[in-house]
Order: sequence, then C-alpha cells, then structure tokens
Amino acid sequence: MTADVLASEVFGTVTLLDLLIFAISVVITIVIARVVAYYLKKSFCDRIQPAELSNLVKVIQLIILLIGVYLALPTFDINLADMLVIGGTIGIVIAFASQKIVSNFGSGLFLVLERPIKPGDSIQIEDITGTVDEIRILSTIVKTHEGIYVRIPNEKVFTSDITNYVVNVARRFEYIIGIGYHSDADAAIRIIRKLLDDHPFVLKHPSPSVFVDTLADSSVNLRVFIWAPSKVWWSVRTEMLWKIKLALEKEGIEIPYPQRVVSFPRDIRNRGRETYEKI
Amino acid sequence: MGFLHLEKVHSSNLRSVNLSEFHPDRTSILISGGHHLSVFGIHKYPFEFRRGDVFLSIEPGDRYSYYHRVVPGDDCRKMIGNREGRIVINPVEPVSLPHNVTGMIEFHFTPIVLEPGSTVKIYTVFPVDVGVFLEAADGYDLLDVFTLTKQKYSLYGTPEKGFITRHIEAEVSDTIPGTDRIKEGVMEIAMHNCGQGWVEVSRAVFEQSTMHLFYGSRVSMKAEMDVYSRMMAETRVLERPLEEGMKQSIRLISSRRSLIHEKPSFLMEYGVGDS
Repeated sequence: MTADVLASEVFGTVTLLDLLIFAISVVITIVIARVVAYYLKKSFCDRIQPAELSNLVKVIQLIILLIGVYLALPTFDINLADMLVIGGTIGIVIAFASQKIVSNFGSGLFLVLERPIKPGDSIQIEDITGTVDEIRILSTIVKTHEGIYVRIPNEKVFTSDITNYVVNVARRFEYIIGIGYHSDADAAIRIIRKLLDDHPFVLKHPSPSVFVDTLADSSVNLRVFIWAPSKVWWSVRTEMLWKIKLALEKEGIEIPYPQRVVSFPRDIRNRGRETYEKI
Repeated sequence: MGFLHLEKVHSSNLRSVNLSEFHPDRTSILISGGHHLSVFGIHKYPFEFRRGDVFLSIEPGDRYSYYHRVVPGDDCRKMIGNREGRIVINPVEPVSLPHNVTGMIEFHFTPIVLEPGSTVKIYTVFPVDVGVFLEAADGYDLLDVFTLTKQKYSLYGTPEKGFITRHIEAEVSDTIPGTDRIKEGVMEIAMHNCGQGWVEVSRAVFEQSTMHLFYGSRVSMKAEMDVYSRMMAETRVLERPLEEGMKQSIRLISSRRSLIHEKPSFLMEYGVGDS
C-alpha cells in the first residue's frame, strides 16, 4: 500500500518517492550548510569583520545548497549531461565576465587564511603606507597616516610585496649621532646608555648597543641600536633622539655642524698678502 | 563631628591616623613615618590618602566628585559622575604601565640548580601596580592605575614569535622577604624539576591571565613552575593566598571585561636560563 503511494506519479514521471528523496537531500544539504557556517563563523570571527564574515558565509552556504540541489536532481530524471553543457557555457560566460571579482574573492580568502596582515596593523603595500582598517571579501581598506581612505583590491594586496611593521612583537631602529672630535666618546656612550636604561620601552633583551661607528668628516659618529615593542616603537624613537641630544649638550658633548679645516702653507699665505698689498 | 570620622576609618587602623588632618565630611587616611596603614581595601568617598609622595583623593563637588592622584612624575585628575560611592584600591598585575604593551612578567634571578625530580620553593619580590576601581552594579570599573616603581620591558623569545615582558630583576631567598606593600609584593614559586637531568633556572615568565594577587599584611602571589628541560617549563599562578586571611585583588584583566581567554598556564618555550 505504502509502496504504491510512494510510486504514484505526482506530475509527469516524477513520483512521490522522487519528491521525498529530493526533499531529504535538500534538508541534509541545509544542515551541512549550517554546520559549515557555524564552524566558519567560529574559526574566522577574529579575522574578518562581522559584516564581511556574514556575506562570506552566505556565499558559501549558497554554493553548498546549489551543489546539494544539483546532486539531488537525478531523482527527477533530468538529464545532467544537458545541464552540464548549459551550466558549463553559462559558467564560462560568467567566469570571463567576473574574472577580476573571482580573483579578488580568492585572494581575499587566502589573505584571511594566511594572515600576512590584520586590522590595526601598520603596513606598506607598494607605495601605500598606513594602517589596515578592514579586510573585506573583495578588497582591503587601508587608512594612510595622513588619514586618507584607500581601497586596495585583494588581488593586488595578495600579489604585492607586503611590509608589515608590527607583525613581530619587537623591532629595532637606529640612530647615528655625531659628536665633536674633541669630545669624550666614552662619556657620550655612558650618557646614552644611562638614558636607554632608564626608558621603560627600550628593551632590556635584546639589549641596546652604542658604539663608535665611523670617524666621519666633521664628527665621530656613534651608532645606537635600540629594540622596542612594535606597538610603541615610533614614540620611543621620536622621544629618545631629542632626549639624547639634550643630555649630551648638558654634559658638554658637542654635536658639531659640518665643518672643514682649510690649511695654507706659510709661503703661499705670504705671497698672497704681498699680491694684495700691491693691488 | 570627630566621632563621625572615627567611624569612617577602620577601627584597627586608628592608631595610625593623624586626627588633626581630618576634614569634616571626608574619610581620611594619612600616614606618618613608620606606620603601616594600608590604602588597600574598600573605601567610601569622599576619601583622601596621603603618604610621602603619594596623594590620592576623591573630593565632593556640587553634583559630582573629583578624583585626584599624585605620585612622583605622574598626576591624574578625573571627574566621577556622582557625589557618594565606594572605591576599591588594591594591588594589580604589574603589566599596564606606562602603556599596556604586554600581559607577561619575566623574573630574572640568581641561577637555581634543580636536582631531577626535586621541588624547590623560593621567594622573590615583584613590583606592584595599584588599581583604583569604582564599584558598579555589575562589578567594578577601573578608574586609575599607578605605580611607585620603575618599569622596564624585555623580550622573551624571538622578535617573530616571542613575548614582550615586564622585566623584573629579583633576588631570591628561601624565606619570605620584607616588602613595602604599596611598592612590592612577594611571590612564592615552587619549582619542580620534572626532567631527568639537573637544570639551572634563572628565568620565570608568568602570563597575566594566570595571575591572582592577594593582599593583607603583604601583597603576594603563589606560583608553580614545572621545569621539563633547560628549554621548556610551564608556569601558573595559583588562586591561593600566601598567608591565611589575605584578600583577593580585583584583577585588571577581569575589570576590563575582555574576551581574553584565561589560560591555566603558560608554556616557556624559549628557555629557563639566561640566553
């Protein structure tokens, strides 16, 4: 009796059993899509903006649903070969039309997975320098240090050289400080070391180094290497240079201007004076 | 009027209070040399605390209150949107000053050589930051953090995968050292050598999410360190006081209501000795 009911044709050659199998397939597909969405949200909630993540999840859910429906279609005796031809043709047309979009979408996915940058990072991509504001599905938004909004397609971000200034927890910077040839370099090094020791964010390890680097034209050049937490390195850099300058001046260490010593042989000087007197 | 003040000050601390400095409608705690009346605890405001270079007050205005705190080199003023309320002052994790760049503290001390399978209990001193919290309906909100200690930060591990840490050069002893509790706390570390060979330990790193501070006659933390090898150890701070009767501090990490996952321990993967 039940078998008869299930085998009864509802419309055309489609039986109730076919409809039932199709419905169960779609329900299973929806469940799978929801489970995938749950795990995607859980895995990427800290990497993608909520609105972007929601869009991404919807797209992936739709793809899963389409695949599920496609796989369930044979129950209706639909010729998949025909559909493949039609679908393939449409697919090629769409692919050509949306080549850039797909490329940006794929690059966006890889950016999220590889995570070379994340919102809040200070970065440089080609000639654009700034802070990452948002990583969207198709583009990355960077706010430059001048406060300008820049939208970079993800394909460009992904294929460009990316410099991330804060991905490492600490970074090094350096100063070259010229002191006069008559100044005491040991004393200058001592003064600079004291300042570095006193600053909380000049890291203890790796320790800073201060040494005489070059005997330059106008000055003895001291080189100072400082490691600082990446989050605050710029403020440390700007603060310390002026403090070093003030401290050296206070201790009588000269920071000279460019200078050149010109020597004249005595006879040349005298000849010059005679010539001048004649004139 | 004087009687009213005496009620506001905790009875056990009365001997240390300078009554001549009292103001009519204010809870006052003024410390003179040699006395040890602690600022730590719950206080109603208006409120005033003064000790040497440290001054902290909440003055009533017409409608609101005014918070003022002075320590050497730092001055903080804020307006509080009510006239009366309660604040909690207690020691907090020493990781947020002058700016919050890390959640780790790193002790460097005289090397301790551990026999395989042995446990050694040592005491060391750590710098204390002081947190001022406003009592709220659903907990406490951070009003201010200050310290009387000098900060220095360091890097544990590599610049790529390491951790910025608050650097603490400390002496170790086998008995509880004396401390000035507004500046320093005592940390008990039970080091256990879980490995097969002798290990020399001169570094211990603890993460903020595992830190639990207690205060009473002193500020304290109690920690464990399981040393697996010269390169690896696991550290955790226990949620237990060093002595009976100590109160647990409100933590910065919980007052910020952050979503930081609280880890039970921290794995030191970059060594336990000086590199």
